[in-house]
Amino acid sequence: MTRTVDLSTDIGEVLLTEAQIAEKVAELGRRISADYAGRRLTLVSVLKGSLPFMADLMRQISLPLRIDLMEVSSYGGATTESSGLVRIMKDLSASISDEDVLLVEDIIDTGLTLNYLIRYLRGKNPASLRICTLLDKPARRLVDIQVDYRGFEIPDQFVVGYGLDYGERYRNLRFVGVLRPEVYSGGD
Amino acid sequence: MDHVEPRERPPAFAHASEAELARILDFYEVRWAYEPDSFPIGWNLDGDVIESFSPDFYLPDLDMYVELTTLKQTLVRRKNRKLRRLRELYPDVRIKLFYARDFRMLLLKFGRLALVDELTGSTGQSTPPRLVAVPVIAELAPDAGGASPVLALREAVDGVEPDPASLTVELDPRVLPPVRARRRGRRRRHAAGRSVDSVASGSAADAPVSG
Repeated sequence: MTRTVDLSTDIGEVLLTEAQIAEKVAELGRRISADYAGRRLTLVSVLKGSLPFMADLMRQISLPLRIDLMEVSSYGGATTESSGLVRIMKDLSASISDEDVLLVEDIIDTGLTLNYLIRYLRGKNPASLRICTLLDKPARRLVDIQVDYRGFEIPDQFVVGYGLDYGERYRNLRFVGVLRPEVYSGGD
Repeated sequence: MDHVEPRERPPAFAHASEAELARILDFYEVRWAYEPDSFPIGWNLDGDVIESFSPDFYLPDLDMYVELTTLKQTLVRRKNRKLRRLRELYPDVRIKLFYARDFRMLLLKFGRLALVDELTGSTGQSTPPRLVAVPVIAELAPDAGGASPVLALREAVDGVEPDPASLTVELDPRVLPPVRARRRGRRRRHAAGRSVDSVASGSAADAPVSG
């Protein structure tokens, strides 16, 4: 039987409050504004988890920037069995050649997806390519990646909210919380 | 972007979890080789290798080894000890150990919850310990007379090498050869995994699986 999602009770602990996130996003925005002053900045976000972070971050950057969106298939998704390879579900809508690209991620854990995206975007000859992530979970890292802008380093727990999902749910939470294990282990 | 040509014959993985990790690496186009290198980590007094460690995967683009541990806790401790020994002897070797919890969370991240119980935990691949006889001192001292070669019974588990710490041997000093510091094979790494030709990815989905 399908379990009913309950936003109020499925979260075991609030890891990052809405205020903490807002403060950090503003800080990142100030740093990025200073670092990219006078340059041609394009923010590239990866659907769907990065949407809230991207929306907040871009409004904290005081530069005439461009934005673009990408979506890649995830292992275990609907397209996995047929292709066996990661697939670009939505590519960039404009060229990033000679642009200073900042890849905006919601979370980096294994680094597998990001490692793929970095190689893909480098093939499009940007002037520069840097990484900005709201959350970093280094304990789970498989592929070492240089993170240029990091919001929070978080413990090795399964987190949802502020764009992060479990089974496509919980993205709309205004905070980042730890999902109760019984939610994903099938118990009640 | 460069794509890696799929290997013609996928390796025979020792456990289904290894095949699943190979599929994940294939999916994200991370090249891998399965158990290409073996690192000696223990020697007898004669300098012969009696214990070695063969990490499950080598990722050539990252110059990193990955060891997947989905065994029960007692066997994890043994593997931890071997990993510590490996790091002591080969400090330049980068290796990442994936515990059962790590792998469970990885599957959870990818929505492969149905596979979690199947691929991880003690029911996945643990095998009851069996006792095997192994020679500990292969060469007797010349003046040992009629002393018998020293043999020891030690615990062995399929896919996991025995822990020398579990040895219980009463040694007669008269039969011991002179102590030598020679350690043949130390810091020697097999070349199999270093060749790009021997490293490929792309078809783990059809790999035969045992365990």
